[in-house]
Amino acid sequence: MATRTVSITSVMVESKVEEIVRFTIHQRIQHILMIVSFTMLAFTGLPQKFNTWGVSEWWVNFLGGIEMVRNLHRFFAVVLLADAVYHIVYIFGGMAIRKQPLPLSMIPSLKDFQGMYQEIRYFVGLSREEPQYDRFNWREKFDYWAVFWGTPILGISGLILMFPVQVTRFLPGTAVPMAMIAHSDEAFLAVAWIFGSHLFFTHLSPGVFPLNKSIFTGRIPVTRLQEEHPLEWKRIQAALAVAQPEAVAVAVEAVPENITVPENIAVEAELPGNPDALPKTPNNPPNEIA
Amino acid sequence: MKLLLGLALAAILLVIGYFTFFTSPVLALDEKGCLQCHNKPDIKKTTQQGQVISLFVNEKELDASAHRFIDCDQCHSKPHDTPAVPTKITSAEKCGACHQYERKLHRESIHGQSLIRGEEGAANCVDCHSNALTPHSVVRVLSPESPAYRRNIADTCDRCHGNEKLMTSYGILEKTYESYMRSYHGKVQTLAKDDLRKLNMATCTNCHGVHDIKKAKDPTSKVGSLANLKEACAQCHAGADENFARSFIGHEEASLKSNPAIYYIERGFLLLTASVVAGGLIVTTLAFVHYTWRRPKK
Repeated sequence: MATRTVSITSVMVESKVEEIVRFTIHQRIQHILMIVSFTMLAFTGLPQKFNTWGVSEWWVNFLGGIEMVRNLHRFFAVVLLADAVYHIVYIFGGMAIRKQPLPLSMIPSLKDFQGMYQEIRYFVGLSREEPQYDRFNWREKFDYWAVFWGTPILGISGLILMFPVQVTRFLPGTAVPMAMIAHSDEAFLAVAWIFGSHLFFTHLSPGVFPLNKSIFTGRIPVTRLQEEHPLEWKRIQAALAVAQPEAVAVAVEAVPENITVPENIAVEAELPGNPDALPKTPNNPPNEIA
Repeated sequence: MKLLLGLALAAILLVIGYFTFFTSPVLALDEKGCLQCHNKPDIKKTTQQGQVISLFVNEKELDASAHRFIDCDQCHSKPHDTPAVPTKITSAEKCGACHQYERKLHRESIHGQSLIRGEEGAANCVDCHSNALTPHSVVRVLSPESPAYRRNIADTCDRCHGNEKLMTSYGILEKTYESYMRSYHGKVQTLAKDDLRKLNMATCTNCHGVHDIKKAKDPTSKVGSLANLKEACAQCHAGADENFARSFIGHEEASLKSNPAIYYIERGFLLLTASVVAGGLIVTTLAFVHYTWRRPKK
């Protein structure tokens, strides 16, 4: 292969940048742990909530009896709590050790409410304009923060229900019935949201149906990024335009089909919007080009 | 050889067939032949008070009952010279002739005390031990069809305690069955109906007692005071203290008056759950409708 010197913009014109890395390996592992533990918790918790339904009894017997169901529930609860700790360590440990920026793009803002309003207008047909989202849209932020508030509620109330005798040594007795209400309702909320809304928007909406592989591969096709997160895509383009063209060319050389920007490329750009969504330091580009 | 095999097979079939079709069921003893008349469904008599009462004894039930080998005159000492129709308390006394320990406990219990006062609504022996409410169909407690079998106890109590009219007349307003089924004790009862390993899970009698059930407000009751309740909890929950016993907030539904903290928690979570679930459903439905019918063709 002959050595070519191409600027990054021309690479994109030739649409050779096909995928962008959207999730790091840690984020992907965290989400897979979450999928497994959450699903198993739902399957072992729901029959306990809806205990009077005939199908619950059948399902509990199928799994090996109520004692097995409760033990499974506790085991996967520990997995989920460990996952939550992993996430916190990843965020703050990453800031301390790897000098990652705090992911401010996940913080809810007025824009999210505007996005929600605009999207509902668009769905109903009052507006022909689709809302323009940045790195995360309002639904994705809600998914994240619902887990963020739900995990401590479910974790703490679950531990109270798991050790009622020990917990009431230092907490008032009413903590136990309160924990039962909180656990039962919050869990139902989580299951209803995930199975009712999250799965629909991530897997069943046009463009991704039948399966959105992004969370498993960590990559998102540029075409879909353009459509779903246009503002983020614009900022990535702007950043790439000022990246050192020679270095990119080397990468193009090495992997013609699958262009990778190596970690030693300095990408420095004055960008509008959220600064953390794009790399500031050479070592930690959250959005590498793949 | 073939002949021998054939013969052996025929013999086996014959034996199986014999035991399948020609075995007789266990029959009640009935030494005096009482059932010759009393097994007729229409046998009845008119008492001195002019009351028509049935004298029918269901032979099938009797054959399966725990009392099938006890002769009739053990309880009916002068069968054709009975002065008065038995009341709930007199028939309980009859049972007590043999079951003396249970009789003593029952007489001191709230059920026995109410019967002695002449209140026919209270439970006597057969109310909990017989499905047909007669001593002739009492089956052993360990038999799964017995109403006093551990798994059936909650339903048996609910026969009367689910009767709102009867309970209101005693001032018992709590929906005891529903609140029990909402608790983990009740949940296990419904989810492990056929799981013998879970037969020991707490049911009504574990906290309230069996034959010696007292009014819940009675200080001598097993649940009458926090100290007693703690003992009841500690039967299963090793190390339970009085604060743990406080975690039982009663069979009453939490209301603003009875338990404001629980009431607010309940309402708050209901509001949160309902709004999030409703919001999610609305957005998802709108998106689904939009993607299905309105999405412009490219």
